[in-house]
Amino acid sequence: MSQENYFTKLKELPESIRQFGGLIIITLVIILSFLILNNIFGEGDDLVKRMKIEEDRIAEERKLNELISTLPSGILVTFDGTDHHRLSDEVYEKVCKATKLIPQRAIMGANFLNFRAHEIYTINGNKIDETFVEWDEQKNKCFAGFTVSGNNVGVDEKIKVSGEALSFLSTGIDTRIYYIKNF
Amino acid sequence: MEFLKKNPKIFQWLFLLIVFFALCFAIEVPETYKFIRGQAEFIKDPNQSTFVFAGKEVRYYAFDVFWRLPPLLGWLPIWINDSLFFLMNDWMPMEFWNEDTQEFKTRPLLLQISRNLTGFMTFIIELIREILLGGLETIVAFTSWDFIDANPWAELPGLPWTIVAAGATILSYKLSGKGLAIFAGLTMVYISIFGQWKPSMQTLSFILVAAPLSFIFGLGLGISAFKSKRVEKALYPILLVMQTMPQYAVLVPALVLFGVGDHAAVIITMIVAIPPMILLTLLGLRAIPPEVIEAGRMSGCNNWQLMFKVLIPTARRDILIGVNQVIMVCFSMAVISAFIGAKGLGFNLLLALNQLNIGLALEAGLCISLIAILLDKMSLAWANKQTDYFGNLSFFERNKNTIFFIGAFVIGIILAYIGTFLFKGTFNYLFEIPHNKGISTADFWNKGVDWIFDTFFVYIKAFNTWLIQEVLQPMRALYLRMPAVATIVLVVGAGYLIGGIRSALVVCGLTLFIALSPWWDRALVTTYMATFGVIISCLIGFTVGTLCFQSKSAAKFMLGVCDIFQTFPSFVYLIPVMMLFGITDTSVLIAVIVYATIPATRYTIEGLRSVPVGLHEAATMSGVNKFQRLTKIEFPLAFPHMMLGLNQTIVFALFMVIIGAFIGTEDLGQYILKALSDKNGAGIGLTLGICVAFIGLIFDNLIRTWVGKRKKHLGIA
Repeated sequence: MSQENYFTKLKELPESIRQFGGLIIITLVIILSFLILNNIFGEGDDLVKRMKIEEDRIAEERKLNELISTLPSGILVTFDGTDHHRLSDEVYEKVCKATKLIPQRAIMGANFLNFRAHEIYTINGNKIDETFVEWDEQKNKCFAGFTVSGNNVGVDEKIKVSGEALSFLSTGIDTRIYYIKNF
Repeated sequence: MEFLKKNPKIFQWLFLLIVFFALCFAIEVPETYKFIRGQAEFIKDPNQSTFVFAGKEVRYYAFDVFWRLPPLLGWLPIWINDSLFFLMNDWMPMEFWNEDTQEFKTRPLLLQISRNLTGFMTFIIELIREILLGGLETIVAFTSWDFIDANPWAELPGLPWTIVAAGATILSYKLSGKGLAIFAGLTMVYISIFGQWKPSMQTLSFILVAAPLSFIFGLGLGISAFKSKRVEKALYPILLVMQTMPQYAVLVPALVLFGVGDHAAVIITMIVAIPPMILLTLLGLRAIPPEVIEAGRMSGCNNWQLMFKVLIPTARRDILIGVNQVIMVCFSMAVISAFIGAKGLGFNLLLALNQLNIGLALEAGLCISLIAILLDKMSLAWANKQTDYFGNLSFFERNKNTIFFIGAFVIGIILAYIGTFLFKGTFNYLFEIPHNKGISTADFWNKGVDWIFDTFFVYIKAFNTWLIQEVLQPMRALYLRMPAVATIVLVVGAGYLIGGIRSALVVCGLTLFIALSPWWDRALVTTYMATFGVIISCLIGFTVGTLCFQSKSAAKFMLGVCDIFQTFPSFVYLIPVMMLFGITDTSVLIAVIVYATIPATRYTIEGLRSVPVGLHEAATMSGVNKFQRLTKIEFPLAFPHMMLGLNQTIVFALFMVIIGAFIGTEDLGQYILKALSDKNGAGIGLTLGICVAFIGLIFDNLIRTWVGKRKKHLGIA
């Protein structure tokens, strides 16, 4: 009975007020729906943190790229006694951090001194699993390496070859590992 | 307060705007948000969130939902694409007889149907092309290559250009008289001596297939919709979407289904051209007075006779206007379908635009426009021509045009024969002037463009820089700054205030589709460009229309100008703006403004004309001056009609913005263009097309509802 009265009263309200009420309800419904969806899909602060880390990484990479573009093209070494460009300790660290690529030449050179790795490498069609270039904070040295895996006469093997990155190749666009000392 | 009580609508709108701006200011731009450039969106980023729906993985940048909704419909384009590929490559494999290899071959059903259809289309196009230009494909289709090698005389000779020109002139004379006949003759001579004969006939052959087929299907579906409510209801949403769907977007799925070439272009042109034919057939049949139907039934007509002997002849004018629309759509598609390999003028235009050879583009564009105007005038004359059933004419009077054509045919052949002697060892110019061997004004235009650049470079650059930096970029930033929740509140609220809860739900659904797709940002850019174009177009159109309305001859002249401009295929508008402003957003927006001003001007004049003369007289009697009459009587009464013009202006602007992607924009159109060159782009292209169509439909819904209510209020519904 009271509900009927309520509806009758609502119906008796002027058209403009009813319409205004409708507008408010629609607005609230939309905002509430968004609120619910935000609870389900919103990633908020966590995403901001992740994006900030990514942005810092990109900024750092950009700085390193700028540095690389100032280096002379050709072979860059970390030791004296050659005609090649000698890297200062500070630049050496930065170049190491900026370097991602280990070309075939450096891998072949390192393999040459690791017979088992060389064997797996050649048997499995010169395939490399993964490469890495890391800066060792304790030793203050750049280490580079790769893993080879495959079947060697019926046995599945996985070997990690790693050593100090003694020289780099600067192409003017990026730097690559030129020589890995794994002995 | 009293004012608000008297005008509750203003109060409601104010409330809506306050809520909108409050939401805009309350919701900050998330730190992680940036408007991502097209290329970067395809790079996999570890910070992207993912979800899997219907087996499809969707990657996206998750924001605060108030700011941007997650793309919950991101799976749709992938799903459409996969479904199309499944239907074409795996669904219902069957054994089909292969004529070439003389053995059965397993093929999916849809692929077989599509190949048969395209084969049939190719055959008809070739047939018409060979009648106009000559060739041997048709004869080979009925015989074999060995036969044609043994009997080289069997190759079809093309019609000399003089005969086609004479035929067009005589037909124009029959339909409309001397004026059109002279125009037809000059057009044909122009396209011939400018060496555009071959591409023009290629385009014409494509239209001569697409237009009749679209007419037949459109008429058939229109009749079915008239007879059955169910068919009408089923067709209604498709017709609605197709009206606002950019023609560009339909190309992408067509590529997957029908491949590349003229046949695919014909099929896709039909898909675009059939909806206006259905609508006009339905409109014509609906407008038939019930007395006519009764009279037909009383005379003992069965259903078939009633339809084809009574109803269709009565609705003839509307149906023929439908034919006119079909032809116009075919012409606009002639250029667009060049993207999927249709030969002819459109292809040449596109090639010239790609090479930035404005002179060549202008020649091809002018040719398309002239043929379009000619066919438009001819079809309209046909629609308006009254058959004289009671004229007592002699045999010559009845058949004089046929006799003249036969005479022209014979003379044309004699001339072509004489040409073989006159132009011995070179091209027979009395038979056909080869492409690029006629007169060319391309160099003149190119030099003109260079001169404009050299002379006005500083001013053009200054204008460009000012427009982009001071107007366009801030406007774009404003649109992109709108949080999703604020936009949806504004759109849905507007829908509610204009058309009640039903309208609010419709626009809510349409907006949500776009907001939940992965291209909300791009849709905002499209809307910003279209809005900018629409605002300027309306300002120009309403002013010019109002000024022209003051004089009858000026109004007539302006409507004629609008008619001519409306027949130009949309791509043609890009030529002059590229001449002046190069490859910039300014070019796109100026093309949008020019293109969209046409309906704004036309509907303003027509709206003002629609005000009853009696009211003019009553106003004059009441002692109002011209200005008062315009502002107090004519504008309020013409406003609903002018708003329909605004509706058309929005659709035109959207179409041109999408085509503007060819110049280089960052909106939905650019993604449609990208989808065209992507073998997995069918789903993306179609979804993007639907998004653009929905933007148009949101405005369409709001404006039409408002117009309906306003007309009722004014008692002119």
